[in-house]
Amino acid sequence: MNPLLAVENLSVSFAGQQAVDAVSFQLAAGECLALVGESGSGKSVTARSLMGLSGGTVSATKLMVCHEDALALSEPAWQKIRGNSVVMILQDALMALDPLRPVGREIEDVLKEHSSLNKSQRTAKVREILAAVELPEPERRMKQRSTQLSGGMRQRVLIAQALIGDPQIVIADEATTALDSRLAALVLEQLAALKNEGRAVLMISHDLAQVAQLADRIAVMRAGQIVETGPTEQILNHPQHEYTRTLLRAIPSGVPRFAPLSAGTPVNEPRQLAPASTDSAPALVVENLSKSFAKHPAVVEAGFVLPRGATLGLVGESGSGKTTTARLVLGLERPDTGSVTLLGDRFAPHSEAARRGLRENIGAIYQNPLGSFDPRYSVGQILTDALSAGRSKRATGYKDQVGRLLEQVELDPVLSTRNPRELSGGQRQRLAIARALAPEPKVLVLDEPVSALDVSIQATVLDLLDRLQQETGTSYLFISHDLSVIEHMSDFVAVMHRGRIVEQGPTAQVFGDPQHEYTRILMTAMPRLR
Amino acid sequence: MSRTAKILSSLFILFWVLTAFAPSLIAPADPLAINPSQAFQAPSSAHIFGTDESGRDVFTRVIHGAGDSLYIGLAATALGMGLALVLGTAAALAPRWLDEVILRVLEALYSVPSLLMALLIIAFTGPGVGPAIVAVGLSTAPGYARLVRSQIRTLKNSEMLEAATVLGRGTWLKVRNHLVPNALQPLLALVTLGIGQAVIWAAALSFLGLGTPPPAPEWGAMLSAGRTYLHLAWWLSFFPGLAIVVVAAGSTLIGRALGGKVKAV
Amino acid sequence: MKLLAWLGRKVGGALVVLWLVATAIFIGVRLIPGDPAEAIMGGPGSQASAEALANARSEYGLDLPIISQYFLFLAKLIRLDFGTSYSFKDPVLQIMGEVLPPTINLALLALVVAWLLALLFALLAMRANKFGRLLGNAVEIVAAAVPHFWLGAVLIMLFSSMLGWLPAVANGTPAGLVLPVLTLALPLAGFLTQLMRDSLNTAMGSQFALAARARGESRLTVFRRHGLRHAALPALGLTGWAFSSLLSGAVVVEAIFARPGLGRSLLSAVLARDIPMVTGIALFSALVYIVVMALTEAIERLIDPAGAES
Repeated sequence: MNPLLAVENLSVSFAGQQAVDAVSFQLAAGECLALVGESGSGKSVTARSLMGLSGGTVSATKLMVCHEDALALSEPAWQKIRGNSVVMILQDALMALDPLRPVGREIEDVLKEHSSLNKSQRTAKVREILAAVELPEPERRMKQRSTQLSGGMRQRVLIAQALIGDPQIVIADEATTALDSRLAALVLEQLAALKNEGRAVLMISHDLAQVAQLADRIAVMRAGQIVETGPTEQILNHPQHEYTRTLLRAIPSGVPRFAPLSAGTPVNEPRQLAPASTDSAPALVVENLSKSFAKHPAVVEAGFVLPRGATLGLVGESGSGKTTTARLVLGLERPDTGSVTLLGDRFAPHSEAARRGLRENIGAIYQNPLGSFDPRYSVGQILTDALSAGRSKRATGYKDQVGRLLEQVELDPVLSTRNPRELSGGQRQRLAIARALAPEPKVLVLDEPVSALDVSIQATVLDLLDRLQQETGTSYLFISHDLSVIEHMSDFVAVMHRGRIVEQGPTAQVFGDPQHEYTRILMTAMPRLR
Repeated sequence: MSRTAKILSSLFILFWVLTAFAPSLIAPADPLAINPSQAFQAPSSAHIFGTDESGRDVFTRVIHGAGDSLYIGLAATALGMGLALVLGTAAALAPRWLDEVILRVLEALYSVPSLLMALLIIAFTGPGVGPAIVAVGLSTAPGYARLVRSQIRTLKNSEMLEAATVLGRGTWLKVRNHLVPNALQPLLALVTLGIGQAVIWAAALSFLGLGTPPPAPEWGAMLSAGRTYLHLAWWLSFFPGLAIVVVAAGSTLIGRALGGKVKAV
Repeated sequence: MKLLAWLGRKVGGALVVLWLVATAIFIGVRLIPGDPAEAIMGGPGSQASAEALANARSEYGLDLPIISQYFLFLAKLIRLDFGTSYSFKDPVLQIMGEVLPPTINLALLALVVAWLLALLFALLAMRANKFGRLLGNAVEIVAAAVPHFWLGAVLIMLFSSMLGWLPAVANGTPAGLVLPVLTLALPLAGFLTQLMRDSLNTAMGSQFALAARARGESRLTVFRRHGLRHAALPALGLTGWAFSSLLSGAVVVEAIFARPGLGRSLLSAVLARDIPMVTGIALFSALVYIVVMALTEAIERLIDPAGAES
């Protein structure tokens, strides 16, 4: 059978910069191909050039889209194909819908471009398709704007928008990225349905574990090239290329605690949790913590204990109250009820002045560290400031200590004169870790520390956190929406849902034998390779 | 800012400082010297900006007028910004209720258009250079104050200050090390943007006969005097106005290069 | 119900603002050194007759304690009694009725023209090449830096003195309106264009614009359906400020083009230090600002209900 997509030696460049380099693949009806790679690998540019939207200079020996020679298509001819025979589902549903227009109108635009239906027919069809993707109350929702919908509703709207044109090819560009596992599962389910209807599905993703459930074949991309391609089974079990192996190794789920995720990291002895000495208090005790914002409860009666030297993973979907919990623990919000005890000392509620003396024992790492650095400071100055207790960013006598900190987080000392803006995401997070370590804290609160990073970078940062914990015995409160990261990093797990901790216990127990209904739903939605 | 932009901005500022403090270096003639036989000369090599109804050299007058015009603009901006800093910072750091009160007062002040407010103030004080400064300064203050407030608000709630809190920094250290230095740069941009606008407003008052009285070579006053002869001698109005446009556009460009927002006041 | 609550909040806020403006004026008048009666009647230079001064004293209760004077002043304002303009010899309210409409007309017309020009420029900038964008940028900045009183003079020189196309004074004909409106609109258009271009660029480079293109829309359709709204929103938020700057400009423009209106009356009232008249104009322009703000907020809520809530 003739493939719907036939690509040979596709290259795309931007102002002389090669973004995609001689990429070839084919895709037939009823088949799913996944292009997997990290940021900058050229996978999204590849996908966009299949719709004539790359914005760069495209060349290929062959580029057939729905049996048309895409290299020869005029702009009006492209416009007939886009949204009709070929559709694209974009990464972030919130960003992919115009916040100023009702979602129904956004979907209707497809019909305006590609059909001769009149207004009432179009509206009827939009209602029909929204009902088909199981959007609750389609009549009401279609008149609302994307900002008024929940994440799940928005995803359904995006899928409805793709389906209404009855496309032959569906391109899903990171359509599951940054989604909570339940939402990601929903999208995967919908994509599977599309494939079973006989449409061709091209998945673009950085996540091997996620695409593995759906893809028939996987092409691994790096630096604009496809380094390896083959059936999913073969790629996962018998990877040929070193880079594919790196990506596979970086997936944390099912990897034992302290086993390295990146190739550069030496294998650590799996460590036994040191038996808590009876005289020392736990690192962190949180009791009956509640906080509401404008009568809207964010955290309800949360309680947990973080033993010394251990990691407690706090997992939940976005909006479940994880970040508020972190802020309460850090003394950045005043709790309505309950208390936080740090190393046996009362930490919250307390006056900031009384708390300040205890602050050196607790540090914090955020998802996007850049905003937490003073933009006027260089890397060295940030660390000097942290080491000198804020006396001066230019204080002398800290050079050796700054060097040691950089070494500790595996950052090149030459970076110390740079501004954090010039660093990569992974380097910034290492800098944030170095700064947090400066006062030698006993507890680190890590709020989604690796969620903004590529998988291979995530692996190196997680390995670094493991190593630091083994060297310093620091306790981690590790917050993430990513179950596989939590499973790999945690000794204990607490599951949050709508502000409440619905289940907690040792990691193996919670993951192996979940008791609460919500935990079970989360576990089934979690993609697993091992 | 790029290197070229820095050099150009410095040259621009240097030129106007020189013009304001030592106009005779550029235009050695007397700006008030009358020479009726030379009245209404069109621009030529002898009088590159032409001469006015009394035969005074317009170029000399424009250069000598820079001092007065820029002085009023700068003084007014300083007054407006000083007031705005106090009000804006107070509102940003104050408890909610006080913030609300200050905001209401600012809104009330803001609701009267700037020039109308300036005129209102002059209605109480009578015309003159001093009143013009007070009028322009007070009428621009509410706009600045709102910007200062939001600027400091944003900084106060920034992750940067939160990170400093987590590191155990006290209020004084946070203000000294992070809040003040980071607030200064945007304020500098704001001031730069504001000077151009203040020069325009001040000239407008003189133009309306409420600022610097003639025959002093102030740009607005010169424009006002030239208006009578608009059909006869366009250069009387054109060149003083051009000087205002150059100063205002230059200050806008520099202010934007410093990171100022499009609409400052 | 939501709408009623919103209206209530607006009216309440407006009253507070008007009260504050009135209070500021009251304090201002009392700060003038010398006899307040004389100040109200035009200052020492006006040489008001003893009879007129006595009238003012009794009308404003100047022999009463200051707090009573304040409440008397407010009570008169509430009854819309702004007093009599001594320089115009007519009740202030009546004069306002005559001078407000031409100024509001002028400002509204200039606002519309400025918006149209800004949209046109923004659209041109989107399609322009690098050189075109640079040129556009320069034009915007210069436009925003041009003072009304000079622009008016230049336009008169060009179109009236040199070309003879348009009249230099407002003579009540549509042709007489062209130059005043342009004088007011051009600087504002410069500001608005800078603002719109920033937000237009953001919108056209966004994910939802890409999604719209992936739906099969042409660039122009994306501009029409998405770009315009996003470009207009921040500029719309500034309409209150824009209108108020137009009222400021109107003072100058009315002087240049010899147009009757609020600005000219204010100017002569200020020159004569006619406090009742000045008070009336200040309160009315504040009221105009408040009404314009409420209207734009209403439009913003239509375009972006979610954004307006926050």
